[in-house]
This record gives sequence, C-alpha cells and structure tokens, in this order.
Amino acid sequence: MAETTQAPPPGGPKLPDFASIKKAVVDSQVWRSMFRGGVWKDTPRDRAAHVIGNVWLHLHPVRVRKRALEWTYSWGLGGISFLLFLILTVTGVLLMFYYRPTVDLAYRDMKDLEFAVTLGKLMRNMHRWSAQAMVVFVILHMVRVFLTGAYKKPREFNWGVGVLLLTLTLFLSFTGYLLPWDQLAMWAVTVGTNMAGATPFLGNEGPFGTMMGMRINNDVRFTLLGGTMVGENTLVRFYVLHCVAVPLLVGVLLIVHFWRVRKDSFSAAPRDPGEEKAEVWPHLITREYIAAAGCMVAILLWSVLMNAPLEVMANPNVTPNPSKAPWYFVGLQELLVYFDPWIAGVMLPNLIIVGLMAIPYLDINPKGVGQYAWGERKFANVLFLLGVAMWFILIYIGYYCRGPNFAWYWPWESWLTQKAAPPFTWNLFGPDPQWRMLVGHDPQWKVLVDPPVANVSVLPIWLGLPVIGGGFALAMALPKLVQKEIKSGLAHVLFFGAMALLVVLLHFAVKVPFSQGLWLPFFGYLAFYFGFLLPQRHIRSLEWTRYLITMFFVVSMMGVLVKMGARLGFNIKYLLTLPAVSLNI
Amino acid sequence: MQKKLFYLFNFLMLAGFVAALAVDYHKDWRKYQAEYYRRTAGVLEAKAMQSSDPAEAAKLKAQARKMRSMPIQIRQIIAKDLGRVDRCITCHVGMDEFVNPTLTTAFKDQPFAGHPDLSGIVKNHSFQKFGCTVCHAGQGLAVSVEAAHGKTENWEKPLLREPLLQASCAKCHGNFETLHGAEIAAKGKHIFETHGCLGCHSIHGKGGVISVDLGNIADKPLERIALYNLSLIKGPDGKPLPRRDWKLPAWIEAHLTNVPMDFVPNDPYAKYNKEPIAPSGMPDFTQELTRDDADAVTAYLLSLTEEEQIPSRYYVPGPPQKEPRFANAVEHGKFVFNRYGCAGCHGLGGTKGRRNYNALGPGQGDMSLDMDKGREPTLVDTLGTYTRDELRAKIQNGVPSSQIQKFNPDGPTPPLYMPTWKEKIKGQELEDLVTYLMSIAKKQEEF
Repeated sequence: MAETTQAPPPGGPKLPDFASIKKAVVDSQVWRSMFRGGVWKDTPRDRAAHVIGNVWLHLHPVRVRKRALEWTYSWGLGGISFLLFLILTVTGVLLMFYYRPTVDLAYRDMKDLEFAVTLGKLMRNMHRWSAQAMVVFVILHMVRVFLTGAYKKPREFNWGVGVLLLTLTLFLSFTGYLLPWDQLAMWAVTVGTNMAGATPFLGNEGPFGTMMGMRINNDVRFTLLGGTMVGENTLVRFYVLHCVAVPLLVGVLLIVHFWRVRKDSFSAAPRDPGEEKAEVWPHLITREYIAAAGCMVAILLWSVLMNAPLEVMANPNVTPNPSKAPWYFVGLQELLVYFDPWIAGVMLPNLIIVGLMAIPYLDINPKGVGQYAWGERKFANVLFLLGVAMWFILIYIGYYCRGPNFAWYWPWESWLTQKAAPPFTWNLFGPDPQWRMLVGHDPQWKVLVDPPVANVSVLPIWLGLPVIGGGFALAMALPKLVQKEIKSGLAHVLFFGAMALLVVLLHFAVKVPFSQGLWLPFFGYLAFYFGFLLPQRHIRSLEWTRYLITMFFVVSMMGVLVKMGARLGFNIKYLLTLPAVSLNI
Repeated sequence: MQKKLFYLFNFLMLAGFVAALAVDYHKDWRKYQAEYYRRTAGVLEAKAMQSSDPAEAAKLKAQARKMRSMPIQIRQIIAKDLGRVDRCITCHVGMDEFVNPTLTTAFKDQPFAGHPDLSGIVKNHSFQKFGCTVCHAGQGLAVSVEAAHGKTENWEKPLLREPLLQASCAKCHGNFETLHGAEIAAKGKHIFETHGCLGCHSIHGKGGVISVDLGNIADKPLERIALYNLSLIKGPDGKPLPRRDWKLPAWIEAHLTNVPMDFVPNDPYAKYNKEPIAPSGMPDFTQELTRDDADAVTAYLLSLTEEEQIPSRYYVPGPPQKEPRFANAVEHGKFVFNRYGCAGCHGLGGTKGRRNYNALGPGQGDMSLDMDKGREPTLVDTLGTYTRDELRAKIQNGVPSSQIQKFNPDGPTPPLYMPTWKEKIKGQELEDLVTYLMSIAKKQEEF
C-alpha cells in the first residue's frame, strides 16, 4: 500500500533557487579547501574571520579606533605609496619582457614599446608617472607622520625604517632614470654619480681622496658606475639594481615597516577616551580600496593623456646645456652653486638622512602624538617644515630658474635669451691671502663689489679654521647659554637695527650697492630667527646631549642659508679653502 | 558616500582601461593599411569586370579576395647589415615587395603610391637589404605619421626632401660626380669646390684651416647648434623658421641663403662677455648663389657623414675623375686658385674681397657702426704693385690676425686671416698660381 514516489508538485519540477545553489557551491569540498568559513553571515564573527582568515588582510587588526578611519588623519598617503609600488612592480615586469639593457638595444626597445607593442606606451607612461608620484607621496607621507608625531616613542625604529625606504625610493627612481638610455638619462645620471666621486676619503675628487690612493678607476664612483664613465656597464648594473636588488630590499623593509605599524598599533589618537572601536571589515577595507581605486584611476588617466618624454639617443660626446639631475635631486644640484660637490652631493644628503633618523630620539616632547598639534610642538613643526620648504624651494629654483650654463633665468624668460658671464668669485680664508682687497680705496680692488680676479683669498688659513669652527660651535651653544627669556619684539628691533646699520655702512664705506647689501638682512634674519630665537625659546631647557645634537643639525641648516647669502650677495665662493687636500667649505 | 565613490572609481578604472585599449588600437596606420587593401582590391575587381577572358577574371577576383583578407599588422623591413628596422611599409604598403612585387600602384596620393624606379634604383637596391631610412632618413621604428617622418622633437634626421635626398647616394657611392640620379649633389660638390669654400673649410683634412672641417658635418648634433642662432634664421618667405624646422638641413642651408653675420652675431660690442667677439666670419653668399645652388650644396654636405655603420661591401668606388689637362700656366694657375679656395676670401676670380669684420675697408666712418664694412684685399686691385717674389712670399707666409689692421681698435679681432700656404702650395703649382694672379691684376697707370 506504501507509495514509493511522490507525485510531482503542480506546475512542473521545481528549479533550484539561487540561495541553494550558492550554499551547494560554498559547502563543496573544492570551495572549502580554498576559502574557509562557509556561507557569509553578516555577523561580527564572520567579519573578524574575513580579516583573520585572509593572508592579504590579516596584517590588519580586527578592530581599530574610529579616529584611524578619518581621511584627514593620514590622507591614505602610506597606502597610496604602497599601491604605487605595486603598480610599478606590475608595469615594471611587463616592461621587462621587451627591454634589453645594452647600449645597442635599450633605446630601440623604448621606441618599440612606444610604437609596436600593444599597450607598450601605456605601460611605460604608467611606470614613469607612478615613479614620479611615488617619490612625491613618500615625502608627503613622511611629512604627515611627522606632523602627527607618529614617530615618537615607541615608534622611533619604524620612522628610521621609513627614512631608509625614502632613500631607497629615490635610489630606485635614480637607477630607473638611466634605463631609457636617452640624453636626459645619461647626463642626469652623470651629474648624480659625479657627486659620488666627491665623497671624502672614498672619492678620487673628494677631500683627502688622492691621499687615500683613490683614482678614477678604483674609487666609490667607479664601483657605482662599473667604469670611469656612464656606459654599458653602468646600464647593466643599474638595471640589476633597479629590477632585482633594490626592490627586494624595499620589499624586506616594507614587511618590517607594515609589521611595525601593526605591532606599535596605529598611531591615530582616540577622539574621546573609552570610545568604541570600529570593525576593520568593512570600514577600513572599504576606505583602503577607495583610496587605491582613486589613485589607480588618476594614474591611468594621466598615463593615457600625458606622454613620458624620450629625448635623442644617449651620446657621450655631446653634453646638453644645461644638464640637470632628475627633479628630486636638482635641489642638491642647485646647492652646487653654493657648495663643493663633497658638501652639496655627499655631506648634506647624508646629514639629511642621519638627521631625519635622529629626530625621534631628539624629540622627547610627549605632546601631539596621534594628532596635528600646532601650538604644542612649535619648534619641531617649524624647523621640520623649514627643512621641507628649503628642499622644495631649492628644487623649484634648480628646475625652473636655471638655464644654459646654469645661469639665472626667471621662469618666464626664454632660454634663448643671452646672458652675461657671471662675475668673478673670491674666497674668505685661503692660501696666499690678499687682505688689501677686502677694503680698498683704489676702485680696482673692491672684492666685495666686483672682484677683478677669480679665486682670490683675502684672509689667512690659520685664522679661518678657528673662526669658522669657533663660529659654528658658538652658534650651537648660544641659545642655551642665554637662559633668560628674550622678548621677541625687542630682539627683532635690535636685529633689524643692527642690520640696517651694517647695510648703510657697507654702502657708504665700501660702496656695496643696496641691491647687494640687502641679501645680508634677508638670510641673516632667517639664520637669526630659526637658528637663535626659536631654539632659545623652546629647547634651552633640553639636556646638553640632546640639545647639542639638535643644535648641530639646526646650525648646519642655517649654515646652508648663510652660505647661500654669502654667495648671492657678495660672490663669496668658499669660506675656507685648502686646495692641497681638495678641502673647500 | 563611500558606496558612490566605490562604484564611481570602479567604473572609471574600467572605463580608463577600455579607453586606453581603444586609444592604443585606433592608430592611423591601421586606417591607411586597410584603405590600401580596399583600394587595391577595388582596382583588381574593376579589372576583373572589364576582362573578357574568364580565367584571367577569376585570377583577378582571387587576387582581390586575397587583398581584402590581408591581416592588418605592423609590417617591417629588418635591414640586418645596416642595423636598421624600418616600419615605413606599414602605411606605405605599395612599397612592400612582398605585398606588391611590381612596386607600382594605381594611386598617386601618399601613402598609397608606389615607389618610383628612377635610374633603376629599385633593381640595384633591394629593399630587403637596404630598408628605407638609409636613403630617405626619418624614424624607421615609428608607425605614426609625424614620428615616422622624423618631424617630431627629439629626432634629428627628418625625412629628406628632394633634392636633399641625393645626399644619401654619396654615402656609399664614391666619386659620385657621374652617378646617374645624384646630379644635384654633384652640382653641389662642384659649387663647393669653385666658390672658394675650401679656402676656409677642409673636408677630411683637405682644405683651409680657418673654419671647421666639414668632413662629418651631417652628424652635427642639434645640441651643438645654439638655438639662439637658429631663431634668427629667416625662411624663404623672409619670416623666421617655425620651431619644427630647426634641424640640421635648415642650419646648413641657412649659411648660403641667409647672411651668416646676421644669424651668428656673437658679441662684437662685449655686451655679454669681457672681450668683444666678432660675428661669424663666413661671407655673404646670398648674391652669388641661387636657392637651387644652395640646395645643391646642402645636398652635398649632408652626404658627409661618419656615423653610418655601413659594411664595406656596400661601398661602390665609382669611376675616378680624369686628370685635368691645362693649355698653359695661366689655366693651371686658375685651377690651383680654385683648388685651394682662394675665392673664399678674395672673391670669384679675385674680383672682390669678401667681408672681414672690423678689418680696414672702404666706406668706414662711424667707429662702432661700420665695423661690418671691413674687407679682405680685392686681388685684381692690389696685385698690380707686387713683384713675383713678393707675391710668392706673401702666399707662402700668409697674413696672421695680428698683422691685420683693425678699423676700430676697441672692436673684436677680425675673424678672417690668410693662412700660410707654404706646406700646401709648392713648386710648379705655386709658380703657375703666381702667373695666373699676375695675369688678372689690373695694370697700374704708368706715370
């Protein structure tokens, strides 16, 4: 009597609905072997599992402070930098399929990429614009981290890793710059690597270099170039550095950097104590995705619309005039107008790197961590931003205001206009001093106004070493030696009064024109305010070790400004010159 | 808000990528290639319709079908010996030996025209061996119109227009004076050798020392030409040259179609330098040479290149020139006069000395303004007072710059001087030259 089959329901057999299909797939062995978790239920448990259970996401915590989600805290700069690095890696690998790093083929392969390879032009453009953008965003990220005090204890080490990453980013951009093998590439790299030849002790043109047995074919520049000039060895070397060695190093450091961000917990300060945290999935992940997508769209559109330049093929016999380093190094090249290469190209960049890394250990002000604090961190913010401003102003000048022969051209002036040869320069302390030239009544001997001969020194060396060394030391110690509070108004009046007196004196006694003399109060005020008044007000209570190290960097920065003023205002080339050991300050 | 941004950026990413693909796909060369195939197929089909023989009609129809189904792709000639890759035939399909063996087409407009076979050039220069750019210049690797023709910035060897195209013949053909098809370049060489250019310029060491050696002038990089000077050149319409034409052929030609002093003014009044620098010493040839002459000389000069990596088996020596025979000493002397380029400073046949800035010359009054009226000696006027020995000594010793009297003592040193010809003009050549010069001198009045 029992029926073995049921009658089919009216209307035909029932089709399986979407939910049951989905369940069947997600519960299958294939799916479960790849993705744990089963059907997604929008519960806190599943949201946490999404983050914990995914290898790409599990660096994130499960919950973050709400403050960390605000765009205006981090602006997504670090994430965008990382995305740009990924874009560079992918486009870079694709470009590697067609590019051969030999002098015969490199340029031709660039042309092939532009004309013959499908999407070759787009890949090259994306690679180049992402590289330029990455340098900019990495610097902006550093500025943001500084302004939010996110380098202070216990995050000092991560800041140091970040500074190394910045250096490696610049180095990656630099090595990549050579690969197109056009005139711009070859000569920009020549300018950059010639600075290496000026390294003290290790470079054949640096101070004490020849004493150490350095020649053009065994010094540190030779190591970098693989030869005595930028040539086929340099191309291969830079290719390997650019595609293999430095990206691996950057990858390792990025792993440490991200790990540290997580382990030190993201720096954003809570909005109010005891606030509830927000879940990373979806809130942080969506914001990260949107930032990444926005950046991708920008790079894509920019690469479709703007073509990366390719000049004529590299020719070692023809030097472009002017030959400029890549834009991020052209600030240092501008400094070459004021300093010798061993300072502008070696000492200052190294001081910048060391100084940046030292900041977290010098800045023990506990205020302003995890938020933008302007009033509570005046000294730190002002001096850091001064450094950043100097960096970008020098880049601007070097890029837009220097034309053929590195003469001064206003940005609107055509480089076709002819310019007069620059006036001769003189040195303050040096061998064979001609002190009569300093203040002369005979109109021919006015070294301050119009030096009649090049490279004349006016004061003896034995006087110069203590004066310059002593001056530097005094500038370092002075703010802490004056323990009383100085009234700002009075200080300014006294300073500008003294400057006015000096300018008038220079004008009427030794006929220095006012247009020249006014450089003195301009740079003098910068050095006075940032080098004396500000430190005196804010860090005279710091203990001597930290104080002296901080002041060393501050006075070095002021030294750069003072030297610029000396050169622009009075045509002083060297404050101290010792030609016998190639030492010129 | 986030949701909106999410969808917007996703859409823009996709759209951007599609746009990039579209931009990458829609290149001009595809259009031109497709049109060539379409047109050729049309011509074949028309011929098939008109043909009376059904077998021939079928064959033509089959050819037309093949044309219509040709793939649209980049076509290139890899000239291995010359190290060049030329993609010209991507657009100029009519000049591809594989697609169009006859190299003639029914079309007159570029890029659908065929390749002219002037002077049997095609038979003697297999396109697979030579490619295109070794003769026509331009950028072989490019496939867009402006870039392939080298008319963009950063390509210094643009397409050579007729008659400058003949410069390429002289790259491989030695003694090209009698080469069929290189007549204009040969004319240019002849002008160069008879108007005194060799007096100041040498070619591979043979010639004058006053100015630069032109032996590899065709390789001069644009970087070595002051853009300021290029900006002063006037085109045939009297207006300044457009920026896209600031390339080497225009620079060379300007020396003969413009007055050199005008576009290489240097600094005779010491406005930018500590000492005055005279303008270009090259004389004004605009009255002496027509525009066609200037073109011819430019064609000749553009053949003087040392950069080409042309294998030696490509060189064709050509018939050597016959040794000239002279009826008498005066004729030989005239030949010597031309051979060493004396006309370069002293004028054709010594009839009028050329300009020498700030030397003493006729009609000079204003100290600063008339420096450009300085002149070299006009031989027909001055030689009447010389004895044979004095003339011989003058030629052998020359006149250095220091001995040339400046019109304005504060002005620059005159750029032109007479070099010593002691080592170069000797023996019978020197004697016959002196004879010729004595013969052209105007007789002095007998008192």
